[in-house]
Amino acid sequence: MTAAAAAPGAELRPAVKSEARGDSRRRDRNWVLALVALLAAEVVYFSGTVPGFFGGGTGLLALTEQFLDVGAIALGLAVVILTGEIDLSAGTMSSFAGIVMAVLWRDGLEIWVAVVVALLLSAAVGALNGLIITVFKVDSLLVTLAMQFILGSVATALGGASPPYGFPKSFVSIAGTGTIGPVPNQLIVFAVLALVISLLVGRTRVGRSLTLIGFNRPAARYSGIRVNRTIVGAFVVSGLMAGIGGILVSGLYNAARDDIGNSLLLPGITIAVLGGVDIFGGKGRISGVIVATFVLGFLTEGLLVAGDSSLSATMVTGILLLVCLAFKIGLDHRRGVDDRALVSRRFRRLQSIGDPS
Amino acid sequence: MSTTLSVEKTEPGGAILRDVLRKAIRLRELQLVVAIAVVVAASAVAHPNFISPGNISFMLADSVVTAVLATGQTIVVLAKGIDLSVAPILGIAAVVVGFPAQNHNLPIVAALGLVVLVGLVLGVGNGLFVSVTRIPPIIATLATLSVYGGLQFIIANGQEVVNIPNAYDALGNNDVVSGIPWVLVIGVGIAVVVALFLRHTNVGRAIYAVGNNAGAAHRSGIPVQRVIFATYVVSGVLAGIAGLLYLCHTGSADSTTGTDSNVNLTSIAATLIGGTTLTGGRGGVVGSVIGAVFLSVALTAMVFARIPAIWEPAGVGLLILLAMVTDRHSSNLTARARRHRQGST
Repeated sequence: MTAAAAAPGAELRPAVKSEARGDSRRRDRNWVLALVALLAAEVVYFSGTVPGFFGGGTGLLALTEQFLDVGAIALGLAVVILTGEIDLSAGTMSSFAGIVMAVLWRDGLEIWVAVVVALLLSAAVGALNGLIITVFKVDSLLVTLAMQFILGSVATALGGASPPYGFPKSFVSIAGTGTIGPVPNQLIVFAVLALVISLLVGRTRVGRSLTLIGFNRPAARYSGIRVNRTIVGAFVVSGLMAGIGGILVSGLYNAARDDIGNSLLLPGITIAVLGGVDIFGGKGRISGVIVATFVLGFLTEGLLVAGDSSLSATMVTGILLLVCLAFKIGLDHRRGVDDRALVSRRFRRLQSIGDPS
Repeated sequence: MSTTLSVEKTEPGGAILRDVLRKAIRLRELQLVVAIAVVVAASAVAHPNFISPGNISFMLADSVVTAVLATGQTIVVLAKGIDLSVAPILGIAAVVVGFPAQNHNLPIVAALGLVVLVGLVLGVGNGLFVSVTRIPPIIATLATLSVYGGLQFIIANGQEVVNIPNAYDALGNNDVVSGIPWVLVIGVGIAVVVALFLRHTNVGRAIYAVGNNAGAAHRSGIPVQRVIFATYVVSGVLAGIAGLLYLCHTGSADSTTGTDSNVNLTSIAATLIGGTTLTGGRGGVVGSVIGAVFLSVALTAMVFARIPAIWEPAGVGLLILLAMVTDRHSSNLTARARRHRQGST
């Protein structure tokens, strides 16, 4: 109280734009910190209550193989969602990539060549998504919804009655269940992907363009950003990452799965949104998405190891998504434009207490 | 004198006629009827059986479940929302009614009450998430899609409805008069009621107003969030009724009913093909119902053309893309549209 009286000038000072921005950055960082705390609590809880979850640390690491494919998809989705668009085709895109790779391999292509071709095709389909959206100015929700079903059909048709399985050892080791010491190879692959995407979004011109397009599209256009080209690029990244997710799925099961893809979409979107990417675009950090991958992954795996069915784990995913969003949106509402100034004022007051002058 | 008068009279008359014609060509309902006629004609030339009374009756009855779902979906989309959870609502309604019907011969009137209740409760859930906690519709209903899907799994408990009482089967598969199935009458009845409701009641008009411009609707005294809430409740109730119709028509229900036959996609497809735009405020139920019939006819034509069933989803997807690309009005800035879809007041 006395502090408030001591610094009346500070209270009257209008909240400058850059301070409001700093405030939202702080909030993003706090969100990531909250996620880390949630992750820690969850791991401790499951390690304590579910036998076989922790497994001396290596069990925990081995469990990551079960959800890193979704993590890869989520990284790509985050890039698209940052621009204010959405990609509902990411799930079946991963089936498509896995099946294309497997069929090419079965027909005699070297496995890694098949992987590259499958990834190129995924990127091309992503580009097609982006082109339809930007050239015809159609809602991305619809285009990718349609593409979801087209890719699903194509994957099922290509795969036939029994999709190929039993890939070469080198492939299964790197993309699937191999480890270096206790560290699964998939975790290393994911780490590389996460690093590349977070550098792309956080440290490059393209990344800033992506965010600005989502934040304010006309402003992005006026400041000379090639909006359409960047959006197509975002869909290419999303297609590519979904393709990689599909390759990881194939490696994990040592079989091409045309039936599993679409079930990866909801967790993928959940991770992106849980990671703090604003569903309307323009806000979000890849670090949040990375942490959220593990939050959701360990939660799902914890429930599965504890003996719950996969459908009830999916149900928990849905509930988690709803609760987190309700919480986050409630928080944003309370700190509306006026309140944001209030928060920064309060913060300055704290600083003035610390400052002897 | 008389000549000048006639010229004066025909000039605007011709202009009006041209205008009407131009509008009619742009009218989505008419385009669809033409498209249906083309598909039917083409298929009939290749396979005369396509226009047998039996097949026509089958296609119409087959489109009813989609049409009822699409009717609810249309109301939601008109108010700039989207409901991705209609599939499990249909499924839950089907299993909730299906088991007592199979095991205890539940009267059909009680069944109707039950599915309406189920749809109401689940629709209220969606409405709460969207209009009270303000979670964006696509995310909220994507989440409830999995939550409700889990519920359906729990309720079905690994069991399957395989045997429904005769009364249900009669409702689902018998004709009122020969060639016109009961389900068709019910479906048309629902569509007509909803169409009249949208056009002639304050609430119906409020839905269009909210979809067009939520801010303006708010300033003109419309309780925007309450209207949005109501659209999800109506969509839920209609999905519940669709669940009963599905049960009666197919005679089966299990833990993945609805989700496995992609009714989410087909309901959205029928809505969009019918000319309702995702940007809200444009379109109507009549188009969606014709869209549902078109889908049914097109998919049956695919079967007649010996295209394997796995390509059906791809066909629906292509039709959505086609509908979007040909609809010039949908060319809005999508991000802005979605930003507004939150229903900011």
